[in-house]
Amino acid sequence: MSYYDIDSILTDAQKLPCTFELDVPGLGVLEGNPGENIKAGTRIDLPLWLGEMLSIGARLGTSRLVTLDIPSALSERVMNALKADPRTVDLRALAPNYYRLSERVLELFEEEEMVDILSNTFKKRAAEIADHAHNPKGALGDGVEFLRGLDETERQLFRVAHDSAKDTRIWAGEAKKR
Amino acid sequence: MVFPFPRGITPPEISFLAEMEMVTIVPRQRLEGLELLGGPVEPLIPPRRTSVPLWLASLLKRQRRANILPPPWLHPESLSLILDIETQHADYQHAFSPPPPLPGQPKLRDRGTQKPTARPRYTPESQRYYPTPPFLPQNVAQDQAYEDGGEPPTLPFHWLEVGTMLLDVASDDVVEPDQTRRLLKELREVRSAKIRAGVEVLDDAAVAGGGVTLTGVGAMEIGEGRGFIGGVVDGLRRIGASKEQARREQLAEAANGGYDATQDDYDEMEF
Repeated sequence: MSYYDIDSILTDAQKLPCTFELDVPGLGVLEGNPGENIKAGTRIDLPLWLGEMLSIGARLGTSRLVTLDIPSALSERVMNALKADPRTVDLRALAPNYYRLSERVLELFEEEEMVDILSNTFKKRAAEIADHAHNPKGALGDGVEFLRGLDETERQLFRVAHDSAKDTRIWAGEAKKR
Repeated sequence: MVFPFPRGITPPEISFLAEMEMVTIVPRQRLEGLELLGGPVEPLIPPRRTSVPLWLASLLKRQRRANILPPPWLHPESLSLILDIETQHADYQHAFSPPPPLPGQPKLRDRGTQKPTARPRYTPESQRYYPTPPFLPQNVAQDQAYEDGGEPPTLPFHWLEVGTMLLDVASDDVVEPDQTRRLLKELREVRSAKIRAGVEVLDDAAVAGGGVTLTGVGAMEIGEGRGFIGGVVDGLRRIGASKEQARREQLAEAANGGYDATQDDYDEMEF
């Protein structure tokens, strides 16, 4: 993950629900009323990078500014849906960088079960992606619905698998060059 | 993306590397010995058999100066035998047919009774090394056929490339070229289906230290699968990173009696 990695910058901008523990003077701009104070107990969606920094007191054991919550993309409801059938969930609608977001969230929360569910999801969907990628028609077959719901990591995986299969076919003389 | 090409090597590059494989030819014309960068080529005296690199062999074949003797595995009988192993044999439902034995490894039929003893070779500077493909003669013609007590046929590392190139250049030297071509294609399909099925068990590779056996997979197949398989394993590693971290801290605590050390040195070894 490099400094200029666009995907990780975009992941940083994902919103995370935060609850303020303290009154903060002059920070009302986050809520949309500039100049006002923020009261303790206010719930606001903050970007990951900001929420992470504000909650850092929690990890140091001192009084913290905000408490973090698990974003809706990783909520119980979504987890149950993924447990039932990983292939039918539209991850892209939940978050464009779904797996990167969950990586970051899992660094903040200890959720062993979520790791298992997500690994299983990724694996099952990867197998499905491989099948679609080897389809010479590319993304135009019957899997359009599934492929539209891929998150950014999965899209890259699809592209790599599709390109290497295509390159090999071109080498073998089964397909024409672009 | 600054560099437009994907990581890893492309199929044309793989087949370029495969052109270093030695094949057996029967020359039709005399040719003085050649001193090449890749090593000397013996003088060609018809009709004595000689081993030359595949690129030279196909050049001579195109100029009608030599005939190529196809390697023993590039034969309809050998290929259908291997295809049988791949599809019917119970031990190879999820594995690939065994690669040819390396020098020092016991022959296929003796495996299990004899232990491998690596036989090193020495460079002119008397440094030890163990040769691997393409520096092993895996594609030269053999004197003994399988039925007469020779080695059972096995697919060498560069099987797909060498097979395709020989069928391209020297299809009149190959026995039943159409049948051979069909069998090669079938083998490739069977094996790529196995690689794809391997994704289902990749999970254990990333988390529990398990893995997928890739013994016997050819260069072209690795080249085709590397981007995808690498991507999947990496994705699983990232998702499992926090769990892995917790597990390692627990282990370190148990080992050091409460001393909380994160042992980053183990990072690479786990995968």
